[in-house]
Amino acid sequence: MHIDPLEKKWLYVVFGMVGLFLGAIFLSALISGIHPPSNVETIDSARLHLSKEFAEDNLGVKIQPDGTIRVTMVAGRYGFFPRHITLPADTPITFRWASIDVLHGVHMPMTNMSTMVVPGYVAEVSTEFPKPGDYPMLCNEYCGTGHDFMWSKVTVVDKQTWERQHPTTKGGES
Amino acid sequence: MATPHQEDERQKILNSPPVGTWALMLIVGAGMVLAWLFLYYGVFLPRGAVH
Repeated sequence: MHIDPLEKKWLYVVFGMVGLFLGAIFLSALISGIHPPSNVETIDSARLHLSKEFAEDNLGVKIQPDGTIRVTMVAGRYGFFPRHITLPADTPITFRWASIDVLHGVHMPMTNMSTMVVPGYVAEVSTEFPKPGDYPMLCNEYCGTGHDFMWSKVTVVDKQTWERQHPTTKGGES
Repeated sequence: MATPHQEDERQKILNSPPVGTWALMLIVGAGMVLAWLFLYYGVFLPRGAVH
């Protein structure tokens, strides 16, 4: 097949760019341990209130013995519960969600936090928030007529403020 | 009808290297690479790794 020399040069440029991009993604994924969230854990959505982890009293932010944070939340038409949580910046945080009814999506604009909450499964995502500030937590999967109003608020405070507010950050609950 | 002078000019253009295309290739390629690197290393990764 004849290819014009100039078109060949364009192809080299394109292949070079794609190779560079894939190489950068592959290397940083390998070095930083980045990969798509892939937790497979089932749960009975109709009996969340009876489960140990997703019962109303157990929702929210919990500090683990190793200093990491675990956030347990429930998504349901039309809100994420609890409606407002406060988290520290620059700290490993693991979010765990379950849906009480239909398919929902969780998205925090200006962060990399995004996942789907599928009924019958526990969605789990680990991340960190480098920048303190107020972030909305929005539903990005159409879930009904009130979908547009389905949001919660996440306040990220700097680590020093968090440690002042939670003197016993090694173990215990927030 | 082209005069001999115009024909010479035309042949000269056809036989010369396509400098403009190379410049365009370089500008478009470098621009896309820089924009991608900025979005990946300057925006995406600093927002915190997800796993």
